[in-house]
Amino acid sequence: MRIDKCYFCSKSVYPGHGSAFVRNDAKVFRFCTSKCNKNFKMKRNPRKVRWTKAFRKAAGKEMTIDSTIEFEKRRNVPVRYDRELVATTVKAMKRVAEIKQRREHAFWKNRMAASKEKLRAHRKRKLEAAKKVSVKLTEPMVVESPQKEKVREKIKVSAKSRSALIPGEGRSMGMEVD
Amino acid sequence: MGRLRRSRTHHAIRDVHRAARTRARTRDLDQIQLIDLDPKNRAKLEAQPLDFEKPGLAQHYCVECAKYFETDVALRSHWKGKVHKRRCKELKEPAYTVEESERAAGLGREGKRTSTTVASMATPMQQDT
Repeated sequence: MRIDKCYFCSKSVYPGHGSAFVRNDAKVFRFCTSKCNKNFKMKRNPRKVRWTKAFRKAAGKEMTIDSTIEFEKRRNVPVRYDRELVATTVKAMKRVAEIKQRREHAFWKNRMAASKEKLRAHRKRKLEAAKKVSVKLTEPMVVESPQKEKVREKIKVSAKSRSALIPGEGRSMGMEVD
Repeated sequence: MGRLRRSRTHHAIRDVHRAARTRARTRDLDQIQLIDLDPKNRAKLEAQPLDFEKPGLAQHYCVECAKYFETDVALRSHWKGKVHKRRCKELKEPAYTVEESERAAGLGREGKRTSTTVASMATPMQQDT
């Protein structure tokens, strides 16, 4: 059983999974998912796409030089089965994984420490720059304004205007006749 | 108000799909960098025999962009343009290959064994603190 690596994201591609593209010069590109395949079709450079392993390695976000990484190898000549060898290999794999995990954690911690310092320096610089160009804010003055109350005044309508000639008993919307 | 515009007027979607077809696939950056830019291959590509299928009878070819042009004037103006310059910039850095994807995954090749692995294989692994 051969477990391939995805061309785009470097994930493991197990038999029966993913898809492959064979270019007309017989180079095989394997993909774990359609997402990776589509990104390949769009001719994106995996080194510039942030979620790929290639980016993380190229940008110094993961260990690149370490002895624990160099155990996994593609073997083109199969090794004859030997029970004892398998047993020791499995034991070694577990041990290597343990050490690798610890080293990765240490690497991450180191990286975070550096970035935290950077962030603090950046914040400090920003704060100082803000202090230099700060604008004094003053509270707007409160203007006491007398509250206007709506007063309804009674309009007297003279009885005279209630003539029969003007429709609506003198309260019509029509023009007033003096 | 009723509908003013007909639906399905976005032809760009169709064009994008057509450009992504395998038969429309152009040469990849690693192919250009490792094969086409070699002076011998380059000379061959720039002086191709007459081909009636290709644009401009395959007489005006830009090696970096893997593109045929109709006229010499078009090719020359292309060389001055932004697209060509951007492409040249992309070609300057080493191309991404299958080997690099495997290296990123932590998978090495058996033949190329570095001195560090040999040393670590010989001595038992030391526990780090």
